[in-house]
Amino acid sequence: MSELIIETKNLTKKFGATRVVNHVDMQVKKGEIYGFLGPNGAGKTTTIRMLLGLARPSKGSIHMFGKDIRKEKLAILRKVGSLVEYPSYYGHLTARENLEAVRVLLDVPKSRIDEVLSIVRLTKDAKRPVKGFSLGMKQRLGIATALLGNPELLILDEPTNGLDPSGILEMRELIKSMPKEHGITIVVSSHLLSEIDQMATQVGIITKGRIIFQDSIHKLREQASSSIKLTVNDVEAAWKTLLSNGFTTDLVQNNIYIDNGTDDHVAAIVKSLVEHDFSIYRVEEQKKSLEEIFLELTGKEGGLL
Amino acid sequence: MAALFKSEFYKLRKSSIWLLIFVSPLLSFFIGLLESNEVPQYEGVQWVTSLGMMTIGHAILFLPLLTGVFASFVCRYEHAGGGWKQLLTMPVHRGNIYIAKMLLVALLIGLTQLLFVVALLVIGWIKGFPGDIPWDVIGSSIAGGWLACMPLLALQLFVSVAWSSFAAPLAINVIFTIPNILIINSERFGPYYPWAQPFLLMMPDSSESFGALNTSATTLFIVIIGGFVVFFLAGLFYFKRKEI
Ligand SMILES: Nc1ncnc2c1ncn2[C@@H]1O[C@H](COP(=O)(O)OP(=O)(O)OP(=O)(O)O)[C@@H](O)[C@H]1O
Ligand SMILES: [Mg+2]
Repeated sequence: MSELIIETKNLTKKFGATRVVNHVDMQVKKGEIYGFLGPNGAGKTTTIRMLLGLARPSKGSIHMFGKDIRKEKLAILRKVGSLVEYPSYYGHLTARENLEAVRVLLDVPKSRIDEVLSIVRLTKDAKRPVKGFSLGMKQRLGIATALLGNPELLILDEPTNGLDPSGILEMRELIKSMPKEHGITIVVSSHLLSEIDQMATQVGIITKGRIIFQDSIHKLREQASSSIKLTVNDVEAAWKTLLSNGFTTDLVQNNIYIDNGTDDHVAAIVKSLVEHDFSIYRVEEQKKSLEEIFLELTGKEGGLL
Repeated sequence: MAALFKSEFYKLRKSSIWLLIFVSPLLSFFIGLLESNEVPQYEGVQWVTSLGMMTIGHAILFLPLLTGVFASFVCRYEHAGGGWKQLLTMPVHRGNIYIAKMLLVALLIGLTQLLFVVALLVIGWIKGFPGDIPWDVIGSSIAGGWLACMPLLALQLFVSVAWSSFAAPLAINVIFTIPNILIINSERFGPYYPWAQPFLLMMPDSSESFGALNTSATTLFIVIIGGFVVFFLAGLFYFKRKEI
């Protein structure tokens, strides 16, 4: 088994009586892109703030690079670059000066500033005060700052916030290239399944403070498999006909659903309907939405308890 | 720690707020220049009487106000752009961040004091004060004024760190500075009032009489150092535990 870069045990954060993060056991392996997925208010940012030492856990432990964050916080932070929620910046400084103010603390060579500026394509705007930057540019400056100290772990909280489609694409390519080119491990949070789907190798899904799924993206894709929706003229008769011909389908709200059907299976069903003179109006693929997956996962969790 | 101070200094230098260190010495310069102490009984002690005149506006009003402005400002650029979040994920001790900011403000106040001396020297030169400059009086006044700003600095930094608004700590500071003119006359309250302390330590002995000036120097020192320690430790403790 490969080395764990982040390992939390029973990580819990209470605000008053509510557990915003509830017994989270997070495991991030070296070289992976860990997609941290959850709806608004799920506890993603709160978890990340605890990983970075910005907030104290109410309970549980955090180990990063095999070190306990309570004992060796600075040694850990030295190897981590981060961007939490909104990019941080000093408005009165230019992009280059912003990086310089941080560079002094990280003790990396001045040339590194040019490198990170060019990685995020801000070289041209480097001499402008950041208060005049667009949100997307600030976001890129935030990424540049996160990369400045040559981190081994990059923690990015909703990094595509405020980016336009081409910016999102660029960010995604950038994130995907990091582990390959520099062996960096990445944790990237998002509330969009599609976004995680396009870059993550591992996924952790959190909702109401609990991790309800944590595994490879392939495992998630299996869970998220689609169903085929059929719209026909006489639904009930059609459904009965299919059943009597040995096809089990679901009848929901005047539509017939085929779950996890292979192409052949779907074709056979359609053929059977045609042969029995039903009019088929539509055959549609229904991707399960993030919400449906959540419901399914939480449902399963509840069933196990 | 050195890196932190360098970074803080860099952030401040690139703003224009530090130029405020010139304001009070300049105003005091004009006050000192226009004031006439050509009267015979001041003969030979013009340095001290001028210093006293200049100190009134500078130490009653400007030192407390500047301390508050600088303390708020070194926190303002962190509050405004989410800088705390970034700064506190750097591999540096939280306590050192707090201390670096405090040192920076102390340095600015110190520079203000030095400029104030320069203003006094220029006045003396223009007006032809006697050649033997009373360095001991001037030195202890300047250093005392600086030292007496420390409790206030510790208090204002605490408030500024805790309060993400820039205006609120400043407003508080102004509100507490205004009654200074009355409080420095109070022998009972003056020494314990952080906003009055700079004046009490900076004012050279002279014919002007302010009630609180009768307090013994030892008492004042104890109160000032004690106040600083209490405010500093409270602020530091708060900052080290603060969740961002
Ligand atoms: N300082 C705080 N005090 C009280 N409640 C808080 C605090 N910070 C966060 N919360 C609550 O914790 C919950 C989780 O917040 P968090 O910011 O971690 O969610 P998130 O998963 O990052 O959501 P989003 O996708 O909107 O960014 C929310 O209900 C929020 O209201
Ligand atoms: Mg969030």
